[in-house]
Order: sequence, then structure tokens, then C-alpha cells
Amino acid sequence: MDITALSVSQIVSKIKTKELKAKDVVLTYLTNIDRLDSEIKAYLNVFHDYALKRAEEIDNNPNKKGLLLGVPVAVKDNISVKDFELTAGSKILKGYIAPFDATVIEKIKEEGAIIIGKTNLDEFAMGSSTENSAFFKTKNPVNTEYVPGGSSGGSAAAVKANETLIALGSDTGGSVRQPASFCGVVGLKPTYGRVSRYGLVAFGSSLDVIGPIGKSVEDVAITLSVISGFDLRDSTTAKVPVLNFETYLTGDIKGKKVGLIKEIQNFKIQPEVEEAFRKSLEIFEKNGAEIVEISMPHLKYALSVYYIVAPSEASANLARYDGVRYGFEGNADNLRDFYEDTRTKGFGSEVKRRILIGTFALSEGYYDQYYLKASKVRRIIFEEFKRAFEICDVILTPTSPTTAFRFGEKATPLEMYLSDVFTIPVNLAYLPAISVPFGVDSKGLPIGIQMIGKWFKEEELLNTAYVLQEEAKHV
Amino acid sequence: MFKPTIGLEIHIQLATKSKMFCSCSTEFGDPPNTHVCPVCLGLPGALPVINKEAIRYGVKLAHALNMKINLKSTFYRKNYFYPDLPKGYQITQYSLPLGFDGFLEIPMEGKIKKIRIERGHIEEDSGKSIHIGDITESEYSFIDFNRSGVPLMEIVTQPDFESGDEAYEFLTLLRSIVRYLGVSSGDMEKGALRCDVNVSVSKDENKGTKVEIKNLNSFRSVKRAIDFEVERQIKAIESGERIIRETRHFDEKEGTTKPMRVKEELNDYRYFPEPDLPPLELSEEFVLEVKNEIPELPNKKAVRYIETLGLQEDYARTIAYNKKYADYFEDIVNKVGHPKEVANFFLVNILGFLNKKGKDVDELTFGSNEFKELFSYLDSGLISTNIAKSVIEESIEKGISVKEIVESKGLVQITDENVIKEIVVKVLKNNPTPVSQYLSGKKQVFGFLVGQIMKELRGKGKPELVNKILNEELLKLEKGDEP
Amino acid sequence: MKIELERIEKLAALKLDENERGSMLKDLEDIINYFENLKEVETDSIEPMVYGEKIELVLRDDIVEDSLHLTDLKRLRELFGDGFFRVRRIIGE
Ligand SMILES: [Mg+2]
Ligand SMILES: [Zn+2]
Repeated sequence: MDITALSVSQIVSKIKTKELKAKDVVLTYLTNIDRLDSEIKAYLNVFHDYALKRAEEIDNNPNKKGLLLGVPVAVKDNISVKDFELTAGSKILKGYIAPFDATVIEKIKEEGAIIIGKTNLDEFAMGSSTENSAFFKTKNPVNTEYVPGGSSGGSAAAVKANETLIALGSDTGGSVRQPASFCGVVGLKPTYGRVSRYGLVAFGSSLDVIGPIGKSVEDVAITLSVISGFDLRDSTTAKVPVLNFETYLTGDIKGKKVGLIKEIQNFKIQPEVEEAFRKSLEIFEKNGAEIVEISMPHLKYALSVYYIVAPSEASANLARYDGVRYGFEGNADNLRDFYEDTRTKGFGSEVKRRILIGTFALSEGYYDQYYLKASKVRRIIFEEFKRAFEICDVILTPTSPTTAFRFGEKATPLEMYLSDVFTIPVNLAYLPAISVPFGVDSKGLPIGIQMIGKWFKEEELLNTAYVLQEEAKHV
Repeated sequence: MFKPTIGLEIHIQLATKSKMFCSCSTEFGDPPNTHVCPVCLGLPGALPVINKEAIRYGVKLAHALNMKINLKSTFYRKNYFYPDLPKGYQITQYSLPLGFDGFLEIPMEGKIKKIRIERGHIEEDSGKSIHIGDITESEYSFIDFNRSGVPLMEIVTQPDFESGDEAYEFLTLLRSIVRYLGVSSGDMEKGALRCDVNVSVSKDENKGTKVEIKNLNSFRSVKRAIDFEVERQIKAIESGERIIRETRHFDEKEGTTKPMRVKEELNDYRYFPEPDLPPLELSEEFVLEVKNEIPELPNKKAVRYIETLGLQEDYARTIAYNKKYADYFEDIVNKVGHPKEVANFFLVNILGFLNKKGKDVDELTFGSNEFKELFSYLDSGLISTNIAKSVIEESIEKGISVKEIVESKGLVQITDENVIKEIVVKVLKNNPTPVSQYLSGKKQVFGFLVGQIMKELRGKGKPELVNKILNEELLKLEKGDEP
Repeated sequence: MKIELERIEKLAALKLDENERGSMLKDLEDIINYFENLKEVETDSIEPMVYGEKIELVLRDDIVEDSLHLTDLKRLRELFGDGFFRVRRIIGE
């Protein structure tokens, strides 16, 4: 039996019926990690002993329950797992052992998931290629000369390389969807407020969401059901019922209206991506959906808004890394210099760049012009989506304007930022969105299609994604 | 004439059991870092969650200070680096505080002075840095985060004070109010109430340069610091110096203010809305419910004591401002009456005695029953006020009832006119010289004769009766009647 | 747009070395210039947006729960005295 070919629900049911041992599942994935990860470098930390011990516990427990029973889950290393190091890809947190579990970790543990390790990321999730990790670069398993995308590059690569079945990532401006797209896997960004952020290392607090990455829409749907829900420890979670999302994957989208943003033609898109995108529209039409044109004239401002709002929030969120209570300690004989030494040595350049942008955007004399202005334009973009969703059920875009790029290819920060133009507006508007692989370019690099759903309507979004996934099998 | 303009910023720790944004205990005085968690230690991934009780306390205090309540208030991040501030920002209310536009009236020299309150906002406390020796010289500072995240309500007044006395009076009333409401211990020595002062002086309508004073550890320090600083600024201006905008430190020992030796950080707090906490929305019902929980407050009480119970002002305030005193006093007066006398006995005798013994009012067993007995003796003239005072002290000290003391010691006054008359006649007979001096016009001898009579009566003669009968007998002698 | 980089560094408790400062300044200016397009957007009557929809603030009850133990803290940092964190003296020369 090829264990890596099994889906989440297959693994869970086989373990329940004792057809399969959790230990064999874990060993299969650990073996893949041992075999491949020296090249891919998806993991910062592999929980060999812990994972095997958990698997044995499951195998020895006659009471076999849980939506993720025995399922190996890789966790982006900006999510707190009790008693394990949490680095957020940064030198400044090196050596920090988390004394508590994130809410999503509690939830997946309760459902029998086996955390297999922590995956690499751009430092503090700031980046689109995982090149900004303080430790090493993760490679795209499809072609190791290319980046896996980011910032959840380790998570996406681990799923693609069969080094885990499911991975958790975080998405502030596309950090789940864009690497999923680059690696050819499925990545979901839930509605803001759907999944607790408690235990997620904060980057842009009004944008951050934890989301699952998997090989299929079904696997992602099950994981979403597990990690969702109101959490008293996160005041920004919503009291919205948690559904069994997998049961909504009917493949029936007849009569649904798929929105096509008119202004998308103004963006520079790689021709092969553009072609795949057109094809995906046809597929929806073929399946009984109607394509409707929507206009979002303010979409072009999303990047500016994002690169003000996210760094502003980050500049405060990252102030706690001062070397006093945990993590990396600088060296100086007075406190002020100690702070500066700790932070200057502890943070990488991209993180410093964003802290400085954010600090600037909030500073006296500039607040109105930058932070406040951006927050207002954010509302305009939000309202545009709201109007769009009055006439359509889901909006389609390419996930990223291009397929994966080579290491070092993006020469300036701005060039790098542009790879998230289609994912960023979704975070600004708190919406759910998913990236599903849909064909490859001439170099064999995966193309991802992004579907954006209505607020807290992940069941519809996932069903739409399911249709595309099933059709993609024949492309 | 220089006119001082003084404003106060007061931080009041709210007496919740758990902290503002996490479930750690707010207990004071425990070993360092024993009440800390991911939230109040600023660990990666931790998020704040608002304590409902802190909001209730805040609304209560805002009401009591006559503030308007914002049904929608917002939390912001105030960004600065300091080792006792674990997140690198303080969560505080900024643009929409919980309460605004209030006032408090304080009694000043027989008049009422209104101090306007600009705002009252909720925020979190910082941890505590401990320096060995001087802050600038000690090589290390030590940090305890037990206080980190304790809820605070910051009260900002308008610059309506003109003297240290006014500030002192305001703080005394404010402390009394928070204790009545049960929203804070108000203990300055435990840091539950902290006060910073802004002082400027000016000759004309233009505002002077504002100087902030910190490190004020008691109400008395606040008063002294203000008085010193006003004086200092006036002298400086008079000698042609310019006042600089700065933060000064009050030196308790010298009673002076000095520029902080700490170099001031670049002041740019970069406030922005706390994305982890959506706006706090309160219902009208909740606000009304909290309002209805507010008891009669000390300032109102004092007025009632003066106006309807006839107490003198200082007595009224001393009792009213202390909830324990007021509870005790009102219990007695409700059952026994005699408010003025009770106030007098309580403040002069009972409190004096308790202070000597280092005891508190709630330890008293001398209550309304004892007062009832005491007044029955007093009203019927069986004991004098002086005796009543000693009876009270003895009763408290020994825990014996008033009745027992009065009876066992035979303290009841002699009110039998025949008995007194007998002694008066005897004394007059035995003191012919003073009597003849009196009769020849030396009226001051009267007192001597009273003394002699009282001696014979072992002090128990009812003074009014003794005076009356002695007068009558002397009158008879004047008229030549035989006694 | 000119940026007073040193002032911003101070506020952010960062101190770049001279080499880093040059390229950083250029990057920041490029990025901030990119933001110029926001000026085209009319926002006078627009309320800023921070929070998502359907999020109703839920408050906690005032209940004390277990705190972290000193053993947890000691895994974070060496503690001093009765359990203090320690920092270098607060004031420079
Ligand atoms: Mg304050
Ligand atoms: Zn705490």
C-alpha cells in the first residue's frame, strides 16, 4: 500500500479499522523526510521521537477517535507548539522554547493529528520566497532551482514532497496561497476571524490567518473543520458555526456566479498563467456557472495599502523582541544599546525594512498621510468586494501573476512584493480564498488559480475549488 | 500676581481579581514573576482578552466622577521601549476613552471648587523595575512582571487646581470615592493610586510652560511638590529665567523638585488602533445597571451630615470620607439618634482610643446597644458627659457593658436635692471666712465653695443642682435668713 | 520623500551600520514613493478600517487561572534573586 497516496479521510478510517497503524503512516513520512529533506529543506525541526511516540499512543489506544487521527501535520514555525522551539524563521527567537500550545495546535492534537515537525518560513512570515529565513532556503520540490514561494514555503514544499500529508501555514498577504500555487498544492486562507490566532506569532494582526495546505481540497476542508471556531483567547474570532466542510464538496455549482474582475487586464501576468486562468473560467462555465464581470477600480491600490498597514502593525508586534525575557540577547553595557544590538543583530534585513516602514508610517507627522490614509483606502477596497459579492458568489484570479521564480531572481523588495498583488486584497478585505493547482507552465512549474469566497462562506468556496480540482485532473 | 495652573494625572489600579487582559492574579506583594503568563509577559503569539469586571469598575468610577460614558470606546497601542513593558507597547484607550467630561467638587475654605475631569480611560499597568542604588549608577535593574497587565483607570483632570491644598483635597476625596465604590484599594503606598502633576505659572492669560512632576509617593508629597514647584517657577521667572518644558522628580527628603537625570526618550508613541481588540461596545442597560450599583458617595454623605444631621463640617467630612466610619456612625445614629453627640464621642473618644491601641473600627464591639444605654444615663442626667467619655473608653478596653461600669463604680450622679442641700449647708457652716468674703462682694469664692461641696459629694453631685442649691443658700444668707 | 532614517531607527530600537543604512534608505524611499498613488484616492468621508466583520467583542469573566511556573520562566531566561529578570543598567553615559 502506498501510504502517501492516501487522503486524510482514508488514513483516518484505515487507522480506525486497524487496517493501518499510525506508526506506519508516521514512519512513511519520516522516511521521506530523511530521504528528501536534506535537499528540499522544508523543515527547521523534525519531531522524530515525539511523532513516533504519539503514533504508538494512538495505536495502543482502543478508543480510536478524531478527524485527524494519525494524520501527520507539519506546522509552520511561527505557530507555538508547547515544549518545542519556536523561531518564526528568525535568529532573534533562536532557543525560545514555547511554554504553550497555539489554539490550532490544541485543536489538531485533540483530533488525533501527529505533529511531525516545524517548517521553514520567511523570517516572521515577511516574504514571498522563503529566502528570508534566517536559517536556510527551502527549495521547490517541483524544481529545486526555484523558490517554493513564501512565506509558508516550508509547509507547501513539505506537502508537495510527501514529507507530510497536511501542513499549517499562515497567510497575511498570500503566504499560504502563493507557495501553494508555486509548489502545486492546495492552500486555503480562511476568513479573518474563522481561525484563532492565539499562538500564531503576530505579523500583521488585522491580516494574519492560519490556513491549511494539503494535496487536495478534501484534505484542506477537513483540516479547516478542525482548526476553526470562536476562541475566547482571541477577541477577533467570530461566533460563526463550524461546519463539516468536507460534506459540502458536491461538485455542483450550477447557477453559481463567478466574478471576473475587469481591471485584472491592467496587471502584468505571465502569458501561460493568463491562459490557464482563461481556461479555468471556461471550466466553470462548462459546469453550469455563469461568469459575471465585476469592477474593482481600487484594486490597484491594494499593494500600497498592504505595505503600509502590515508593516505598521508589525512594527508594534515585533517590539517585544528586545532580548530581555527570551530569545537572542545582544551585548552592551546599557539597556538602550542592548536593545539596539539585540534587534539589529537578531533581525534580518527584510524584517528591519518592514519595521522601519511601519515605524515611519505611524510616526508623528506621517500617520495621517500613511497609516490613516491606508486604513481608509482599505475600507474602499472592502466595500468594492462587498458590492462585487452582491452579484457574484466567488471571484476568480490567478493566485500569483507568475509561476515560481529562481532564487535571487527578484532584485528589489518591490519586485518581490508584486508577486502577491492578487492575494493581498483578500487579506485587506478579511475574505476567504483558496489556491488550487491548475496546470503547469512550459518549464513544468505549477500554476495556481485563486478563488475568493464570501465572508464565512468557506463551504461554497471549497466546493468551487473542488470543481476546479476535479477538472484539473483532465487538463 | 502669578497664577498657578495645575493639572493631575492619576492612575488608579482597579481591584479586579485577575489582570486586564489575562487571567493572572493581581495579588500584591507575592514573590517576583509568580503571576505571569504568555499574555502579560509578551510571549510570541499571545493575545489580550478584556476583563469584564475591569470595564464595570471603570464605568462605575466614570459615573461617580460625573463623566459621560462612551458606549463605544476603543483600545490603542502606545509604543515605546522600556524593560517593564513586555510587549514594547501599552494597550490603552486613546481617541475614545471609556469616560469623558466629568467633574468633582471639592470643599475649599468654606466654598465649593469644581475640578473638571477631561477623561478617564482604561489601560494596563507595566511591570516594575527595581534598581539597586541609584537608577543611573546600578549596573543592572531587576524586573518583576507581577504588576504587568493589572488594570488601571487613568483620570486626567483639567488644569483647574491653583494650589497644593486643592490637589490634596481632591485626591483625598477621590481616594474615598474609589474605596466606597470598591473599585480600588486606593493605597498609594502599594501603588494602587499614583499621581503625576503638571504645573505652570503665568502672570497673564497666556499659559506658562508646563512642567511635569513624577515620583510622588503620598498626598502630602503631591502638595509639597506643587507648592515648591509653584514657588520655584515664580522665583525663576522673576529673576529673568525661562522655564523649560521638562519632567522633574520630587525629592522627598529635601522637599524639592529636580530635573530627571534620566535622559528623556524621543517622544513619539505612534498610537494606532489595537488590532487585537475590536471596539468595546456597551449597552445602555449595562451602563444603567452599573450606575444603579453606586452607593451614596462620601461627598454627598458629608453634605447630608452637615445639612440634615447638623454636624460641623470637619466632623462630617472626617466621618463621611471613611466608609468604615460612616457605616459605624450611621448604624448608631439610625438606632439611637443624637448625631452630634455620637459624632463627638466617636471622633474624640472612640477614634482616639482606637488609634492609641492601633485598632480598626471594624474591631469595635461598642455599638448601638452601648450607645443606647449611655444616652439613657445622659438624658436622665444620671451621668455627666465627662463620665460618659471615661465609661466609653473603659467599656471598649475591658469589653464590659456601659451599665456594668456605671453601676459597679457608683458613677451615677447625686440628684437628690435634699442630700445636696444637706452638704451645702454643712460646707457653708464650716467655711465662715469664705462665706463672709462672698457676702461682702467677692463673688469668685463661689467656685471654691462648689469645690468643697463636690469634694464632700465625692464628685458625684450633679453640677447644675449643686450650683442651684448653693446659690439659693447664699441668697438666704444675704437676706439674713438663717440657713 | 525624504526619510529621517536615524530618527526612525531610534524609535524602532535599531541601529544600522553605515553600509546597511545606504541601501536601506534607498529601498525605503522606493517603497514610500510607491505609496504616492494613494494620494489619488479621495478619502475625506471614509472611515478607516481596522476590524473585520461579524466580530463581536467577547469579554472574559474576572477569574484567576494558573500562571506560568518559574520552571517555565527559567527555560526562557536565567532569573536572578527571588526570580527577577535582569537587564543592563537603564541609562547610558
Ligand atoms: Mg497612561
Ligand atoms: Zn498573565
